[in-house]
Amino acid sequence: MSDTPVLDDRQKQQRYESLVDALYQDVYRYAYWLCKNGALAEDLVQETFLRAWRSLDSLQNDKAAKAWLFTILRRENARLYERYRPDLVDIEDQSLMDSIDNEPDQRMDRKLLHDAIASLEKDYREPLLLQVIGGFSGKEIAEILDLNNNTVMTRLFRARGKLKHVFFPDGNPDEDPDEPLDE
Amino acid sequence: MDDLEFRKRAFANPQDQDPEFLAAAAANPERSRVLSQLQALDARVGKAARSIPVPADLATRLKARAAPAHETRKPGMRRYLAVAASLVLAIGLVLSPGLITARPSAADLKFHDDVLGHVHREISRYNPGLADISLTQINSVLEEAGGHLRDDEQIKKMHFKFANGCNIAQNSKGAHIVLNGSKGAVSVIVVHNSPVSTRFDVTDSRFAGKIIPFGEGNLIIVGEKDEPLNVYEDMIETAFEWSL
Repeated sequence: MSDTPVLDDRQKQQRYESLVDALYQDVYRYAYWLCKNGALAEDLVQETFLRAWRSLDSLQNDKAAKAWLFTILRRENARLYERYRPDLVDIEDQSLMDSIDNEPDQRMDRKLLHDAIASLEKDYREPLLLQVIGGFSGKEIAEILDLNNNTVMTRLFRARGKLKHVFFPDGNPDEDPDEPLDE
Repeated sequence: MDDLEFRKRAFANPQDQDPEFLAAAAANPERSRVLSQLQALDARVGKAARSIPVPADLATRLKARAAPAHETRKPGMRRYLAVAASLVLAIGLVLSPGLITARPSAADLKFHDDVLGHVHREISRYNPGLADISLTQINSVLEEAGGHLRDDEQIKKMHFKFANGCNIAQNSKGAHIVLNGSKGAVSVIVVHNSPVSTRFDVTDSRFAGKIIPFGEGNLIIVGEKDEPLNVYEDMIETAFEWSL
C-alpha cells in the first residue's frame, strides 16, 4: 500500500488547521452578528468548518478561503436558522460583560454601537459587516451575497447613513443619505 | 467628481484609496470633514463588531473534529480497523436480537450508520435548559417534511425542546425533533425517504434506538442507552399523520 495517501491526508489536515487558525475568529464574529446569539453562532461555525473540511479539495486557492467560508456560513445559517430558530435568549449583554473593555464609558459606547448595528435591517447589516469584519471589497461582497455591485454599494451607503444618523445626530442634514438610490 | 458622487462613494467605503476619490476629498474641506467623520465611525463600528469574545477553545474543537478522520486513514491502521470492524459486525449480528430478527439490508445498515452520525452531530445543539416549544412550532417543521402531529393528551405531557428540518437523507425532506427524556435528549426523526426493509435497532457505544418503516418514509427514535423509547414510538404512531 502506498504512503502517498498519508501525505495527502497530512497536507489536508495542515491546510485545514491553517485555515482554522487564520479565520475562525472572523468567521465566529460574523456568525454572531448573523444570528445575534453566541450559542447559535458557535453551532454555525462548527457546521461551517465541518463542511469546509469535507469539501476542502474544492477550494483551489487559499486566498479565496475567507469568502468561501463566509459563503458556507451564510448558507448554513439559512438552512438551520432562518426558517426556524430555537427560542434562545440572546446573550448580547453577556458578550458585552465578557468583552475586553472594562471602563463603564467604553462599555456604554459599545452597547450603543451593538444596539445600532443589531438594529440595522439584515440587508444593510450584512454587507457592512462583511466590509468591516471580513475586509471584503464591494465586488467580493456582491459575490458572497449574490447581488450586483451597485446594490451592494447602495446598501453600504444606506447602512452608514443610518449609523451616522445615530452617532452624529447634530450633523448637517444636507449630508444625510436619505434620498432614494437605485439598487 | 461632483458632491453627490463623492458622498455615495464616501458612505459606501470611507477606506477607498482610489487616487481620484482621495483627491476629491482633499480639494474640499467640507468633504474632508465628512470623510473623517465616516472613517471615525467605521473605526468604532469595526471595534464594536470585533469586540465579541470568541470562545477560548473554539479553534481546538474545530481542529479536533477533523483529526479523527485523518487518524483512521493511516494505511497501517486501515487493515486492522477493517478486520476489527468485520469482527464487530459479525459479533453484533450474532449477539444482537434486534438485527438478527430484522435482517436489515446493506442499504439499511448504511442508513443505520448515517442516523448515528447525524445524531452525534446534532446532539451538540441540544441544551436541556431550553424552554419547551409549542406544538404549532413543531408542526411548522413537520409540515415541511410532509406531516403533522395531532394534539392529544400524550402530546401534552411531552417536553419538546427543539425542532428543525433534517437533512439525514439526501434529497428527502425530514424533521428532527428533540425531547427531554429521562437519561438525556431523545431524537425523534421523521423522514420522507424510502422505507427501510424492516424495523431494526440502532446502537453504538452511547446511543440506542430504532428505525421503523413508517408509511411514506421512516420513523427514527434514538436516545441515550437505557432510555425507555416505547413511549415516543407510541406517541408518534398515535398522533402523526402524513399529509402528502
